[in-house]
Amino acid sequence: MKQYRIYYIFLTVLIYAFASGCTSDFEDINTDPTASPGNDFNPNYVLTTAQLAYAGSNDFAYDTWRANLIYSATMMQGMATVVSYWAGDKYLNNPGYTSAYWERAYDEQIKRIVDIVESTRDKPEYNNIHQVGRIWRALAFQRISDLYGDIPYSEAGGAYYTGNLYPKFDSQESIYADLLKEVDEAINAINPSGDAITGDAVLNGDLAKWKRFGYSLMLRMAMRLTKVNEALARSYVEKAIGKTMESNADNAFLLHDESGGRVTQNRNSQVLLGDGGQENYYVKWSDTFINFLRDTNDPRLNKIAVNKLYLSEGSKDQNPGYVTGGASQKGMPNGKDLSSNPLYRINDDPSYTGFPDYSSPHPQMIARTAPTFILTYAESEFLLAEAAIRWGLGNASEHYKNGLEASLTFLSQWGDAVAISNSSAATYAYAHPLDMGNALDDIGNQYWANACTSFNFYEAWFNWRRTGIPALTPVNYINNATNGTIPRRFPYPIAEENTNPDNYRAASAAVTGGDLLTGRVWWDKE
Amino acid sequence: MNNYLYRQIPKIGLQAWIFLLIYFQPVFSFAHRPADPLLNQKISIHLHHVSLQEALQVLTEKAGIAFVYSDLFSNQTERINISSTDISVKEVLDKMINANLFSYTVMGKEVVINAKTTQQQVTGVVTDQSQVPLPGVSVRIKGTNQGTSTNDNGQYGLTAPTNATLVFTYTGYVKQEIPINGRNTINIQLQEDNNELNEVVVTALGIRKERKALGYSVTEVKGEEITTARENNFINSLAGKVAGLDIGATSGGVGAASNVTIRGVSSIGQGNQPLYVVNGVPMESQPVGRLNKNPNGNSGSQWDNAPDMGDAISNLNPDDIETISVLKGAAASALYGYRAKAGVIMITTKSGKGNSIDFSSNYVAEQIMDMTDWQYVYGQGANNVKPSDQAGAAQVGGSSWGGKLDGSQVIQFDGVERPYVAQRNNLKNFYRTGGSWTNTIALNKSFDFGTVRLSGSNLDNRSVVPNSGMDRQTFNFSGIFDPIKNLKIDARVNYILEDVQNRPYLSDGAGNANYNVTFLPTSIDVRDLKPWLHDDGTERAYNAGNTFATNPWFAAYEFQNKTKRERTIGSITARYDFDGGYFIQGRIGRDNYSHKYTNVVPSGTAYRPRGSMTEQVTLFSDLNADFLAGSSFMLSDLTITPTIGASFRRTKSELSIQNGQDFSVAGLYNIKNTVNKAIDFIPSDQETQSVYGNIEFSYQDLLYLTGSLRSDWFSTLATPGRNNQLNTVYPSVNASFVFSELWKPTFLSFGKIRLGYATVGQATDPYKTQLMYNFLSETLNGKPLGNIINTAIPNSALKASSASEFEIGTELSLFDTRLNLDVSYYNKQSEDEIVDVTTSTTTGYQGAVLNVGKMENKGIEMLLTGYVFRNTTGFNWTTSFSGTLNNNKIKSLAEGTTVQPVATSRSNVGFLQHREGLAAYQIMAFDFSYDKNGEIIYLDNGAPARGELTPYGSAMHKWMLGWNNEFRYKNINLSFLIDSKWGGKIFSATDYYGYLFGLHQATLENREGTFGESGVEASAYYTDYANNVSKQFVQDASFIKMRQIIIGYTFPAALFHNKIKSLNISAIARNPFILMKRTDNIDPEASYNASIPGMELGGAPPIRTFGFNLSAKF
Repeated sequence: MKQYRIYYIFLTVLIYAFASGCTSDFEDINTDPTASPGNDFNPNYVLTTAQLAYAGSNDFAYDTWRANLIYSATMMQGMATVVSYWAGDKYLNNPGYTSAYWERAYDEQIKRIVDIVESTRDKPEYNNIHQVGRIWRALAFQRISDLYGDIPYSEAGGAYYTGNLYPKFDSQESIYADLLKEVDEAINAINPSGDAITGDAVLNGDLAKWKRFGYSLMLRMAMRLTKVNEALARSYVEKAIGKTMESNADNAFLLHDESGGRVTQNRNSQVLLGDGGQENYYVKWSDTFINFLRDTNDPRLNKIAVNKLYLSEGSKDQNPGYVTGGASQKGMPNGKDLSSNPLYRINDDPSYTGFPDYSSPHPQMIARTAPTFILTYAESEFLLAEAAIRWGLGNASEHYKNGLEASLTFLSQWGDAVAISNSSAATYAYAHPLDMGNALDDIGNQYWANACTSFNFYEAWFNWRRTGIPALTPVNYINNATNGTIPRRFPYPIAEENTNPDNYRAASAAVTGGDLLTGRVWWDKE
Repeated sequence: MNNYLYRQIPKIGLQAWIFLLIYFQPVFSFAHRPADPLLNQKISIHLHHVSLQEALQVLTEKAGIAFVYSDLFSNQTERINISSTDISVKEVLDKMINANLFSYTVMGKEVVINAKTTQQQVTGVVTDQSQVPLPGVSVRIKGTNQGTSTNDNGQYGLTAPTNATLVFTYTGYVKQEIPINGRNTINIQLQEDNNELNEVVVTALGIRKERKALGYSVTEVKGEEITTARENNFINSLAGKVAGLDIGATSGGVGAASNVTIRGVSSIGQGNQPLYVVNGVPMESQPVGRLNKNPNGNSGSQWDNAPDMGDAISNLNPDDIETISVLKGAAASALYGYRAKAGVIMITTKSGKGNSIDFSSNYVAEQIMDMTDWQYVYGQGANNVKPSDQAGAAQVGGSSWGGKLDGSQVIQFDGVERPYVAQRNNLKNFYRTGGSWTNTIALNKSFDFGTVRLSGSNLDNRSVVPNSGMDRQTFNFSGIFDPIKNLKIDARVNYILEDVQNRPYLSDGAGNANYNVTFLPTSIDVRDLKPWLHDDGTERAYNAGNTFATNPWFAAYEFQNKTKRERTIGSITARYDFDGGYFIQGRIGRDNYSHKYTNVVPSGTAYRPRGSMTEQVTLFSDLNADFLAGSSFMLSDLTITPTIGASFRRTKSELSIQNGQDFSVAGLYNIKNTVNKAIDFIPSDQETQSVYGNIEFSYQDLLYLTGSLRSDWFSTLATPGRNNQLNTVYPSVNASFVFSELWKPTFLSFGKIRLGYATVGQATDPYKTQLMYNFLSETLNGKPLGNIINTAIPNSALKASSASEFEIGTELSLFDTRLNLDVSYYNKQSEDEIVDVTTSTTTGYQGAVLNVGKMENKGIEMLLTGYVFRNTTGFNWTTSFSGTLNNNKIKSLAEGTTVQPVATSRSNVGFLQHREGLAAYQIMAFDFSYDKNGEIIYLDNGAPARGELTPYGSAMHKWMLGWNNEFRYKNINLSFLIDSKWGGKIFSATDYYGYLFGLHQATLENREGTFGESGVEASAYYTDYANNVSKQFVQDASFIKMRQIIIGYTFPAALFHNKIKSLNISAIARNPFILMKRTDNIDPEASYNASIPGMELGGAPPIRTFGFNLSAKF
């Protein structure tokens, strides 16, 4: 019977072990010690990251490179290049590039901003961050929708809260209606004596500025609808009038930080400094833009453009003796390449005297710490000027003058080297008043120039699609995908066919003009 | 198990009670013996110092019992003293009769007293047919667990009952049963066993069992089968040898992981790799892949340009392996529980045998096989024109859309004019002849109280990829001791040092030498890309139009991808056998390693001029402890063996990452020399507790029945604030019926039917139940950057998944064991799979953790072995076929969908998906678009319009057939193995890029003409074609390959006057040629990630190896 004793001892130990619940520490074991659950984590920290992501992906400027630069900047003839993969300069179809913004925006921007809004809902201690979150969420969604049209909106980014893994595509019409409502409600719900926005890397937690930002954003959203719903556009413009940004001090921009490497450096700069290729040498201001400034004697030409900044293809070292001064500046024509075909070969273009002679952006504008401009006072004023022309709301000339002055003086926010003094700006604005006979063109051209100098080529493209201003001459490159017309939309990413097939197919089939570069979003009515 | 039952019981742990109590009963029930009325009668008796004979006479008078006994009993001198007025006859007898020496039985009115068999000494020598002593032969007293084993000189000695039978077993030899019959010396010769059915195999928990007792399928492979023609990752050597086992090597170069699946894809969302158990201790061998948290390792994503970091199993030295047991079914694995869902591969390392020194040396040369078959009509350029200036040549550096190769002098990327001619040997000129040299020495020593084995091995590999290679040292200690009687201690340590130089990048072009050399334009000679540095130390890039197209030499010689791994796998097992068949066993084992990875993107890299580097250290430990107690009870012909056990597992890892961007001093690759640094720290921790019981019944040698029950408690299911069910309980039962014991026709040597059913549960990885936040490493002007860490939506209600498997099989040995057949049918059903369902990026997450889906695998495995010629002194030919048929089907997926994305090809037009109703891992590509009349729709540029994303078949092969042949004549042996797989598909991203770059033969058609109404050129047409319709890139991955050929000679020991006990020299070839393939520019087995089947791009080309192997025993 001795043997049984072993069993007894063993079983007793075993039974005690399990009955007493060895699993009591399992919850601790299954909690990542390097992270905090939502209740313990201030949503302000996430806001900073969401804002940074709006300034471009931390994955090596992934979306900025492809959407803002390769496509928008060149289609809008703000920039030009001979780099073969810059498909936008030639209206070529590169599905990987046109889907880049979508891929990163939902992951890096929408996920975070939706989480901020959802996790602070009905929490009075987080009222203001909730409202600011709603405004930012509207800002982020507007750009995605402007690029693609109907997009997942109401069910997007919140799958943790809703469990919906197959977000439907909302119509752009309904999205815009909701964006305007959201911004309006959020501005009104901001409580000046409420919680401080500590994670704000754009307006530094200034709630008064947030309100003005909100109204300028509302203005921009409303004006987008002039072709499709003028009444709605006007009603929101009327709400915003008098409450929009008041000076360049209200400009919304995010200042980058060199120390964080690719994660925090300016995204446009990373590309234009040649971090990922030879963009430094081969990407230049477009001659369309340079010529516009020259034709109007615009003092910005002396500031924003330099030549001989990079002297050889192989070197990424900037030439400290770069040349400024409008007279020597020269833009590069769009639609040119390095091939042997004389129709396109840049060397055969009459303007060609070597690449260093074409104008690059001023080094201050491509500094790693440079700001990313999100929404500026000048844009706001130009839109008010347009509203005044369209609907007689306010003084168009005054708003135009404010906008023009501001779009010169704001350059100081790039850095002192490109600053234009208030007096020169005032002088220039006085000398170039709004031509009431050609007012919409004047406003649109300046809106475009302002967008180019703030590297917000997205906005230049959106406004051009709405207004057709400036009047750009398309290039006609071999094998282009648009029959020689400037693209009006990005096709949906094919990846959605893989992950959200039913909703994707329905949306893709519904695009006016087809799910192509030549298709149109709802507000871009022919 | 019935969930309902367990839901009733709120407190975990109670289940342990229940099943332990169930357990208890058999333990006690056999302790009772039925009483007999004759013996129960009460009498009054008074005996004082009487002899036994006298005492019996008194009993006969008082109780009317006749006694029958021998002299042996009556001659005893014992005197009896009993005085009682109310005592049963039985009690009297028990007092009178020494139970150690005698027993009695009642037969009618008679009581027969039998002398118990006396114990006696038996000694002897066990030899083989040629009189060579066999050490380590197990000598067991039949029907008991008692026994011993032979020493170095083949001698044994033990004490056994005179009438006992000794059972001699030795792996590879026919078991012999010899009755002692009073003899004191029994010398026997064991016959080599060609009938594998009688083998003793290692099964779950390291228990050795006779094959005939198993109710499930086990295949055992001997160490020597994988050492002669070896692979650096030894698991690859099993390809084609084991039915039901699918091994896919990856194209990751030296030290890469392998994809191993047993009986098909076992899980929709989790790893499909089997559990490796080394000397009873489970070893984690998750290869790189989708489930890999390592941000710098190859995760098989669309954008992956990262090296394959290898897997754990490749660390082992095949010379140290005694046996590999492949336990295929869930039944075999029930005792390993959740970790064995995908099957178990048990590895037993060698232990000391005798006193000898073993030495082996193996050298193989490695050579690439060029799989590409590009067009060589047109050269580098664009729009059908060859370059005319340097900048233009550089801008189209990756394109073969130029003019006709006419031999004219043409300017190239570097400004030098060279002839415009085809360069067909770029791969051969880039890759070099590699080689692997392995030397192993092992010392065996036997002592009175045990044996030790100590081995050291060095592997020195020079990869075919320039500047890449591996060094590996392994040290193995094994000691088996019997410090006191009945106690056996088995201690093993495996210490591994592995350094891999420059594992190649995979898939994407940046920094990947393989990719760039494969897609070099037809007129560029790879040798002209040398030197790969400009004078200022920057990359001499050949493709300015795509700076991510790294100069392959620069990628090979300047990029660094070093790994350094130090691994210790140790275990100690103590087993105590009580007299009477009880045993207890405790075991503790720990697998731990540190893995250091250094990656350098050098200064001057075209796409990252200022360079960057990563230093990454993984510390991993996996502690496993288990306890087992059991016994055997005999009930006439029925043997019952219950065992119960408990186990504990704690697995922790810490991954520390330092990333540095931008070297401040160019070329100084030191993490401190980087300007922008970022850190990351990724911990992982999980614990599992288990209890289990197992009961075996065996009736004679005829029928075996085993049942088990196990419960696992998982930490990874725990969610703070929620009372999740943390455990899952699962049973198994299997039976083996040896019908040849009953039915003995002359042609049948052995026949058995086996039957098994088991279920097994599985939890998941840690930290999937809560949404958690932390910070990016960087700050933005002093502001912290908060972040949601979950990339997949967490699930606070996770439960363990479950899989059940039914198996039926037979083993037949016919015609004097000349023909042997082992066939199994299995049906495996998985459900509630824990899956990271890939979601649209618009959800904000890359996936969601869900309990979804049902999947089934049904299949047949067969091993047919024929001893065509069998003659110990003459010609022998053994031929065997191992065949596998597996039918996999996804029965359902997440609610509301029939599709679950798995992976996306870098080409963006090929996908891997699970789809309801089809086999797992469907290769998806775009079909043509058809109009109402079924006509293909073409676009203005002539290219077809994009149609539906369509499944074109599973990446997993459906059929596999291996054919192995061994010939032996006297001392010469020859063998070859042919391996084939059928029915799998592969998406060739290589072909896709062949279209885009103008390399593919298909792009020759109308090359200089225009296409469509808009009159585009060939480059635009074929690019659009490839992007719109990708089904032509789905290829049949079926193949037949010559896996290995071995020719060897064994020198007779006499030649060396027995100074050398044995010496064998073999010439070997692995993968010397491909007999059949259907892919055009790739190896049908190409793969850039061990967990992403059917996707390839940018991997190292397949290699063939030739060499020799020498093994000697002193």
